[in-house]
Amino acid sequence: MDKNLLRYKGVMPVFLIVGFLTLVQSVSILLLAKWLAEVISALFAGEPLKEQWGTALLFLLAFLVRHACAMLMGRVSYRFAEMTGSSMRREMMDKLFQLGPRMVGDRGTGNLVTLVLEGVTKFRTYLELIIPRMVGMSVTPALLLIYVYTQDMTSGIILTVTMPIIIVFMILIGMTARKQMDRQLKSYRTLSNHFVDSLRGLETLKFLGRSRSHSQSISDVSDRYRSATMRTLRVAFMSSFAMDFFTMLSVATVAVSLGLRLVNEQMTLLTGLTILILAPEYFLPVRLVGTDFHATLDGKEAGEAMKSIIDRDTVKAVLLEAEGNEVAIEAESAGSIFKWHPESTLTLNDLSVQYEAGDLSSLKGISLQFKGASKIGIIGESGAGKSTLVDVLGGFLHPTSGSITINDNHVSALTDEAWRKQTSYIPQRPYIFSGTLADNVRFYYPEAALEDIARAVAATGLSRLVASLPNGLDEMIGGGGRALSGGQEQRVALARALLSSRPIMLLDEPTAHLDIETEVELKETMLPLFAGKLVFLATHRLHWMVDMDLIIVMQQGQVAEIGTHGELVARKGAYYELIQAQLEGLH
Amino acid sequence: MKREGWFAPYVSSYFWRFLLIIALGALTIFSASSLMYTSGFLISKASIPPENILMIYVPIVGVRTFGTSRAVIHYVERLVGHDTILRILSNMRVRLYRILEPQALFLSSRFRTGDILGMLADDIEYLQNVYLRTVFPSVVALLIYAAAVISLGTFDIAFALLMALYMLVLVVVLPLISLFFTQKRQREVKQARNSLYQKLTDAVLGMGDWVISGRQSQFVETYEADEKKVARTDAALRSWARLRMFIGQAIVGIGVLTLISWASGQYADGAFAGTLIAAFVLVVFPVADAFLPVSEAVEKIPQYRNSLERLSGVEEDNGATAHAELEQVNLEPVEQLKSSSTHIQLRNAGYRYDTGEDWSIRDLTLDLPQGKKIAIIGRSGAGKSTLLKVIQGAIKPAIGSAVINGIDAAAYGEKIPAIIAVLNQSPHLFDTTVANNIRLGNPQASDEDLKEAAALAKLDTLISTLPEGYNTPVREAGQRFSGGERQRIALARILLQNTPVVILDEPTVGLDPRTERELLATIFTAMAGKSLVWVTHHLVGAEQMDEVIFMENGSVEMRGTHAELLKREPRYRRLYELDRPVSL
Repeated sequence: MDKNLLRYKGVMPVFLIVGFLTLVQSVSILLLAKWLAEVISALFAGEPLKEQWGTALLFLLAFLVRHACAMLMGRVSYRFAEMTGSSMRREMMDKLFQLGPRMVGDRGTGNLVTLVLEGVTKFRTYLELIIPRMVGMSVTPALLLIYVYTQDMTSGIILTVTMPIIIVFMILIGMTARKQMDRQLKSYRTLSNHFVDSLRGLETLKFLGRSRSHSQSISDVSDRYRSATMRTLRVAFMSSFAMDFFTMLSVATVAVSLGLRLVNEQMTLLTGLTILILAPEYFLPVRLVGTDFHATLDGKEAGEAMKSIIDRDTVKAVLLEAEGNEVAIEAESAGSIFKWHPESTLTLNDLSVQYEAGDLSSLKGISLQFKGASKIGIIGESGAGKSTLVDVLGGFLHPTSGSITINDNHVSALTDEAWRKQTSYIPQRPYIFSGTLADNVRFYYPEAALEDIARAVAATGLSRLVASLPNGLDEMIGGGGRALSGGQEQRVALARALLSSRPIMLLDEPTAHLDIETEVELKETMLPLFAGKLVFLATHRLHWMVDMDLIIVMQQGQVAEIGTHGELVARKGAYYELIQAQLEGLH
Repeated sequence: MKREGWFAPYVSSYFWRFLLIIALGALTIFSASSLMYTSGFLISKASIPPENILMIYVPIVGVRTFGTSRAVIHYVERLVGHDTILRILSNMRVRLYRILEPQALFLSSRFRTGDILGMLADDIEYLQNVYLRTVFPSVVALLIYAAAVISLGTFDIAFALLMALYMLVLVVVLPLISLFFTQKRQREVKQARNSLYQKLTDAVLGMGDWVISGRQSQFVETYEADEKKVARTDAALRSWARLRMFIGQAIVGIGVLTLISWASGQYADGAFAGTLIAAFVLVVFPVADAFLPVSEAVEKIPQYRNSLERLSGVEEDNGATAHAELEQVNLEPVEQLKSSSTHIQLRNAGYRYDTGEDWSIRDLTLDLPQGKKIAIIGRSGAGKSTLLKVIQGAIKPAIGSAVINGIDAAAYGEKIPAIIAVLNQSPHLFDTTVANNIRLGNPQASDEDLKEAAALAKLDTLISTLPEGYNTPVREAGQRFSGGERQRIALARILLQNTPVVILDEPTVGLDPRTERELLATIFTAMAGKSLVWVTHHLVGAEQMDEVIFMENGSVEMRGTHAELLKREPRYRRLYELDRPVSL
């Protein structure tokens, strides 16, 4: 049983209602069996049908009550499942956006989307099934069994003995199947992914001249996958086989033993029939549990996966007082703490970031100071810590140690909405949402007037593009709309940043993937827009550095050098080496 | 017509297996019904006073047989069913692959949004439900229906006909009503879910922007509102499903009463033995178990439509884009193609994808004798990819010509990979071992050849550090390795392919400068003697080329050797200086 189950809001009333309905249902099953048996045995004894109509209608009534109970139970548990499922999704969505892009990188976009959409559905199915099944299994068989014992000891014993056998077999076979699945899980996964892998690699296969012959390999692998699946299914289906087999055998045994005792006149037909009708009903709840086992298991796991996201800690930035106390930042004061103006200073004090305990640090003992409006270049090779530094500065990432001083306030991190609202961010591949060009530009600032948008678009060199689009600014772009080139995407992001007129700009490798001419043009557009802002530009393209006010050279998570271009060249240190490395020809 | 294309052919090719599955399905129900029938008969018979144990011997055996056989038959049925379906899926996969294979080079431009290839693969998985959840249960129900009517008919034809009509309500009328009621809503739910999927993927991919914008809660708000709308429709569907189940059961209950009155009438008339009353009444429940699921099975039909439409859509598109098969010229055998020196020539070649559109390339002349190395640079949309496709013969220039050794490039068709190898931005590494990935270049290659190629690609040190050496799995899409390492594996692969001409399509995008330079150095050393067409976004290494071509809007803007361009073109000089910051 799932211990989380009892913690969901409003679960107790659901249990009570379902419990009550199950009780009514079980009683109506008893009554319908009794009345049906009465009608049949009376007719069999030769009584006229006319006198039996009353009992027959009673049977129909009991029969309808039974199924009405099932319908109501379904309704109650569906509502509960729907409510709990949506509130869980809501919590998870809020958490996801608090955790931000770092988390997405770890989990994978596809995984998260599937978890939100399909995971919630599975979890809902689980909630919907588990309560009626649990209650049904604990109430109905017991009640029916007691009744059968009052009527006929022998049948009662047969039914009692069968139940544990069924359960033990189901568990044993289930475990065997699980083990077998686990054992071949790896080859299983490879086989089942082979087809998608082939489709995604189709172009490569074509280039290699292997695409035609590869269809044979698809068919071979599919066949291997089939045999592997069938091996597992042979065991997996055994559990429902065992359930079927023992239930049916038990019903048959009850029937035969009833027959034998009827012959010896130790019993009446009425009792015999009643028990015979009740026997399959006795097993029904267990069989339902078996049938829905996989659905409930899947749903339970999905629920746990969601819970693990909801339970993640989001480390919030806190205010550090002189005595070393940590004070939560109130929303009202956050604005003034993080407010960036031309005289502001930002100091990083001995800052480190370590992703997992025990891992190498991504950033080690960083101490830097920035003032008002200036252009900061962050340079270094891949893995030197450029992106991590940008993530800290952008408030996506809480450092593991160290502190930050901003406007004379000591804080633990910049992960605060008030800070983020002053920054704009341009990654290597800015995301273009599916929507109109105008919507994409006013993304940070949806209230922006159309003239302002047009101005931003013109300033970022997008006017030619807009003029060439049939719908101008209202053209749909992004997924499903018109595709933009890498350079155009950067310009949209730039327009977005410009329109928001936020005082801080973060750029992470904005041009590495562009051809050199596009890069040049983009640079020419960008540089004037940097004026009057605090700009952080992380890149490994050296030519940007000439235009920076300050250059930070990163090496293995540490600051190797700081200075202007001239200073650093004169120093002939790490920066100078980077330049020299690029000046050498290929060899 | 098209829609049946993914369904009907498999029915005829697996006819006998289908028949077996359906027969077994019907037998399963038959056994369950017979158990209740004989049980009812048995205890009624036993209760008639003068009977002794011998008289009920036959029904006892019957009860025991049916009691055990149901489970066995059902087990076999499920195994056979799944086995057959997996066979069909295997056929479908091969078929989809064969449809997509000819358009391999155009897939990325056609299916830009989302992972459509993954979706198509899922569609095929989903189609197994057509058979397992809809076709088989419905046909079995119809069979049982027929059997029930016939066996009633042997007693009383008039009543059999009446019951035939009555049961029809369960088997046909209720399912159709259900289908009619839910069709629209089901489509709505499906569409709404698709758009939720889009919306969420969009938001997750752009999470950084949402977080920075400070408008996250706004997104969650609108997303949840959409979810609520879907939930409402979904709730309506579910509530109908529950009601439908209740209606079905009510029909069964009334059916039981009808049978009771008929059976007692028959008994009173002396038309049949009293023992059959219990038998007939008890058999109603297992038979109804076959009928009740039909509604649900039929209701699922609209859900398959999307998958079927997407699959047949791919097929139709293919018909539209497939080029008229070019007459294949008698070519030298592949081995000879490989060893011969290759001369590629483009004369005033021009191409546009659609009449009325701008020319993707125009008036392009190119001379590439064996061993010549050219670099092509230009911004996106300048016509570089089209030029590469023309060289590979994937598209035939509308004006001018593209010939390889005097024969139209397009005429080489499937044999092109013997002459031209391609290393692009993201070569796919298949989810298998390093060795298997490299060997794709030439399956006949010996282990020595393989190692030699790996050494040329400077992979040997990396591979020696791997836990299982050459037999280390690369994981899905080569995730085990960094971008530069993946490119080296792909490089070893095309070295093994050993073609006289190699196309490098921006192989270093996304790599940092040091990795880029090291990779390029390795590539140029390993490619000695081969013709090279190198599309690049940076000018690093341009000095090693025999010719540098600048493309803009489909035509050549400037061309010449690196030294010439540096001297002659100020624009080139400026760009080059950015890449190799001499002025620093």
